[in-house]
Amino acid sequence: MSKAEQLSASFRDPSGFLFTDKGILYRQINRAYSNDYARLIDSGLYGRLVKANLLIPHVESDQLPAKSEAAFKVIQPERVPFISYPYEWSFSQLKDAALATLSIQKRALKLDMSLKDASAYNIQFVRGKATLIDTLSFEAYKEGQPWVAYKQFCQHFLAPLALMSYRDVRLSQLMRVYIDGVPLDLASELLPAKTKFNFGLLTHIHIHASAQKRYSDKAVAPRAMGMNKQALTGLIESLENTINKLTWKPAGTEWGDYYENTNYTDSAFEHKKVLVREWSVEKNPALVWDLGGNTGVFSREAASSGAFTVSFDIDPAAVEQNYRTVRSNKEQNVLPLILDLTNPSPSLGWDNRERDSFGARGPVDMALALAIIHHLAISNNVPLPQLADFFAARCTWLVIEFVPKSDSQVKKLLASREDIFPNYTREGFEAAFGSRFKIHKAEAVRDSERTLYLMEVRS
Amino acid sequence: MHFIPNLYLDPGSGSILIQIAIAVLLGLGVALRASWGSIKKLFGVKPKQEEDDDSENVQS
Repeated sequence: MSKAEQLSASFRDPSGFLFTDKGILYRQINRAYSNDYARLIDSGLYGRLVKANLLIPHVESDQLPAKSEAAFKVIQPERVPFISYPYEWSFSQLKDAALATLSIQKRALKLDMSLKDASAYNIQFVRGKATLIDTLSFEAYKEGQPWVAYKQFCQHFLAPLALMSYRDVRLSQLMRVYIDGVPLDLASELLPAKTKFNFGLLTHIHIHASAQKRYSDKAVAPRAMGMNKQALTGLIESLENTINKLTWKPAGTEWGDYYENTNYTDSAFEHKKVLVREWSVEKNPALVWDLGGNTGVFSREAASSGAFTVSFDIDPAAVEQNYRTVRSNKEQNVLPLILDLTNPSPSLGWDNRERDSFGARGPVDMALALAIIHHLAISNNVPLPQLADFFAARCTWLVIEFVPKSDSQVKKLLASREDIFPNYTREGFEAAFGSRFKIHKAEAVRDSERTLYLMEVRS
Repeated sequence: MHFIPNLYLDPGSGSILIQIAIAVLLGLGVALRASWGSIKKLFGVKPKQEEDDDSENVQS
């Protein structure tokens, strides 16, 4: 074995696994999977799916396999710029991931193949589109065979989408607790009774959950009776219809008027946009994190420099709106995600190594922290030196906005509590951040009391 | 289950039984639609365009 390193999340499927060597990502295909792989390519399914942006493209590689005894081939898949997880997606992102999975399954069935798994973690957003990244998810379809991934599909997609749509959008966070998707008995219990009058949810969730309970300790060897391709297509179309009908729209004022409730004047807002754009062009980062990105206005300024920009926000409605903008403008290098910076995504799964924490997916070339510092320092009580440490561990270049106590937004935060933040001043901020960063620029934002800084981390 | 080779996911007994029940029911619909198409064809009605395999990943 060379110095190749197997990825810690890549161990479940005996068909193969991912590994890296000298920073390049490869996928080893095992001999056990050789027939299915050949079929994927020879049937034309691979070509069709790649052309439709539904499957990650790859090239076959001369790289030595990481475990040669089992190896059939090594392929080099296109690298995804940023790996995200379903508990970080907005409603429409999870819905599009579900529909992409079903669309792949329908196209596969036409060419006598079938998905052998339907994990939400196999979908990533590539060039703005939900895309399957696991080339080894296909198997030859045999007439009579049920869909082995049906249960997984319902747990990873249908159950969380139904809960988000019918109960509360924040229930997407159940995906953070249950690594293999929301248990159907839990979904059935949490969903309102009226969902029993929806044919799709009645059958795929409520009755499905009772059947699971009833047969949990019984082995079944059903004859393939009736489960022909037509029946299977009917099942897939039923899931598709059920998911298409699930919607979510944030109520009332949350929706749409994010930047109207601020104290910015137009000229301050425009000035900030210009500075973010100029500094992004000047430093030319490949990957940018916009922390507290709201609906992505400033993320797009950074992205206009060519950088792939991940736009994080705590508010599912803002992220939803941001994603809809990506979709309608067909943007390829902005990825909106839900993240609570005061409690970011942890490492999860087997040995805590299957899903990377937020921090482990960095550091990045540039981070934006605009109109966020007062939330972290005052609402969340994080001392300024600890904030400086946090940002220093995550980026080379930092564009950060200091919002002073005299600013009306900060006054609002302090209105209902005692001011226990004597060091929250411009001087205190510069001292704390100056010890971890070299401050290159400090620009007063026009028509405001705020300052925008460009800093470089000290090594 | 003898008809599923190289299984690495547990498909779940209940999940298999329920999907067969649903699928058989819905498969009837698919079959009806297909035969309805051929009946219409008999009378010279052009069949509806099937989902194009090369169509884009359109995410609504």
